[in-house]
Order: sequence, then structure tokens, then C-alpha cells
Amino acid sequence: MLKNSLFLINPHLLRCNGRSLTRMSSIRFGSSAVITAKPQDIELNNGRQTVKAPNSRKTFLIDSYKHMMETHPVVIFLHYNNLIKSEDHYFRDQIKTTNGTLHKIRNNLFKVYLKNSSQIDPCAPIDSKDETLIKNHPLHPLFSGPTAAITYKDINPTDIAKLIKVLNLAKDKLFVIGAKIDAEVMDPFQLGTFSKLPSLPQLQATLVSMLQMSGGGGLVQTLESSTQKLYLTLKSHEDNIKEPKE
Amino acid sequence: MLTKYFTKVVVRFNPFGKEAKTARLFLASIPPRQRIMGTKIENELLNSTSTKEPIIKVVYKDKKEDSVDPRVLSFMEIANKLDGHSRQLRLKETIENH
Repeated sequence: MLKNSLFLINPHLLRCNGRSLTRMSSIRFGSSAVITAKPQDIELNNGRQTVKAPNSRKTFLIDSYKHMMETHPVVIFLHYNNLIKSEDHYFRDQIKTTNGTLHKIRNNLFKVYLKNSSQIDPCAPIDSKDETLIKNHPLHPLFSGPTAAITYKDINPTDIAKLIKVLNLAKDKLFVIGAKIDAEVMDPFQLGTFSKLPSLPQLQATLVSMLQMSGGGGLVQTLESSTQKLYLTLKSHEDNIKEPKE
Repeated sequence: MLTKYFTKVVVRFNPFGKEAKTARLFLASIPPRQRIMGTKIENELLNSTSTKEPIIKVVYKDKKEDSVDPRVLSFMEIANKLDGHSRQLRLKETIENH
């Protein structure tokens, strides 16, 4: 117990005492995780401290979930109801035509990522009493039962409208249970209303045209006037300074 | 769980709710081939503002209906409860076949 608490305070001790630790079959860390990464593995990976071996499947998956959630603004979570192989191929193909990719998810590892998502390295050993851990992530309840995720590289409601059309064919085989758009968590109904929005460039175009029209013209003038006044005052001040020299 | 004797299954749940785990495990426990064999599976999603109650409803081959609340029972408890009638049907079937 005492040894355990020492590691909680200073993870570097793990490496220093490497030899003695490898003799023990496993080490309890915090409340749940068991560190199985060996000191030589950690050294090979430029000293990256991980709970499981740095080249293990679990570490890889948690890293891939971090990449998935941080680089894709749209991630849609689905219930993947044991599809047969031909159905799986069919839906993967259909999803590809909407510019998305389907990934199956390992629930427990995704929950680990969600809990550690505020940490720099989600695979690193943690102190279970750490207050920066997100124990009640809003997406947490979605990860019970077979789950899959569809990722999109950019926010485009028309793609999602296409996807919803594809998934309507799947009925109980594959259906949306939640989504993450930017930092916002949505339920399937909110996603439905989101898909009815026009695309982002279209919205920007309507905004620009509104501002250029008579009603918006006044607004643009009012917003511009203060900067214009500032410019004019500074300009006249500059002229005043320059004049005496000549 | 014996799913062979189900002819219709209705599952209604909120994916963010407490009942989601039971409901989704129940859906996943029905083999994919059974859809082709003629079992109708219907699922309906709820959100936090909907007034409908979450439910798991099963219709057996002999048209007996059974419904359970996924908020109260776990998946194993539901499986045990529904297996009771399925076993009776299986017994009946074996007697008739011999």
C-alpha cells in the first residue's frame, strides 16, 4: 500500500525501481488500472509513461480515440446491432459515399479516454483522486452495448442528412444514439434538426448578402464608423506632427 | 436467452438514460438471422423530454404478450423472465414432434 501511494505521487519512481517492480506480476494503480508496461518498453518509447505497454493494442486504441475525437468535428455514435458480413460491407460502403468512416468501438477503452480526455496523455497512469478527471462525461452513458462511431472531417449538415437517409433503411440494425458536433453533445433528435440546416458556406453567403442589403448596410456603417473616426483622428494628428518639420 | 419463439419485439428507450444498457443488450442478443426468419424488431428512441415510458415488449409464437421495464430489471433478469414462457413453448414443441 505504501509503495503504491509513492507511485501516485511520483511516476518516475516506477522507472528508477524498475528491476524490483518487474518481479511483481502486476501493480495496482489508483483504484482500477493495473500497470503492465515494462521499464524497457517505456525507455524504447522515449520515456512515455503508459499504463499498458506503449506498443500494445489498448494504448494504440486509446490514442486512436483521442485522435478521432480531437481531429474530427463531427462524430456520430451508433448502436451496431450484430450485422451480418454482407450488411456490414453494404453500410460501410454507403457511409463512405456520405464522406464518413465507420469505426467499431471498444466501450471500456473509450470510457478510459473520456475520463482522461482533459489529460495531456490519456494512456498515462492517473491518480483516481485527481479532480481534473472527467468522471461524468456527457457521452459516458452511450458506451454500453455494441457501439460504433462515424467520423466526418468537416461540419456539413447535408452529409449528415444523407447519412440519416442511409440509416433509415437500416432500422434496428444500425441507428444513431448520440453525436458530438464541435464540443456539443447531441441526442438523435437534435442531430435530426441539425441535418436540416443549410451548409456552412451557404449560411455565410446569406449572412454576407443580408449585410450588403439596405437593412444590413446601416449596421455595417455603424460598425465601421468608430474605426473610421479613429483613423481620421490619427491621420489628422499625423499631419499636424509632420507640418512643423516642413 | 431463448429468442427462437419471439415473433415480434418492441424496444423503446432513451440512449442517454439508465435503461439504455439493458435495452441495447437485449437488442443485441437477438441473432441477425432471426430477422430473415420473420421476427419483427421495432425500436423507438426517446429523449429526456418525451412522455412515453421505456419498455421492452415481446410477442411469442402462441400470441402471448409480455412486457418488462428496462429501468427496473437488468438484462439477465429480463432474460430469465422471458425464458420461462419460451421453455414452456419448447416443451410443447418437443412433445408434439415425438
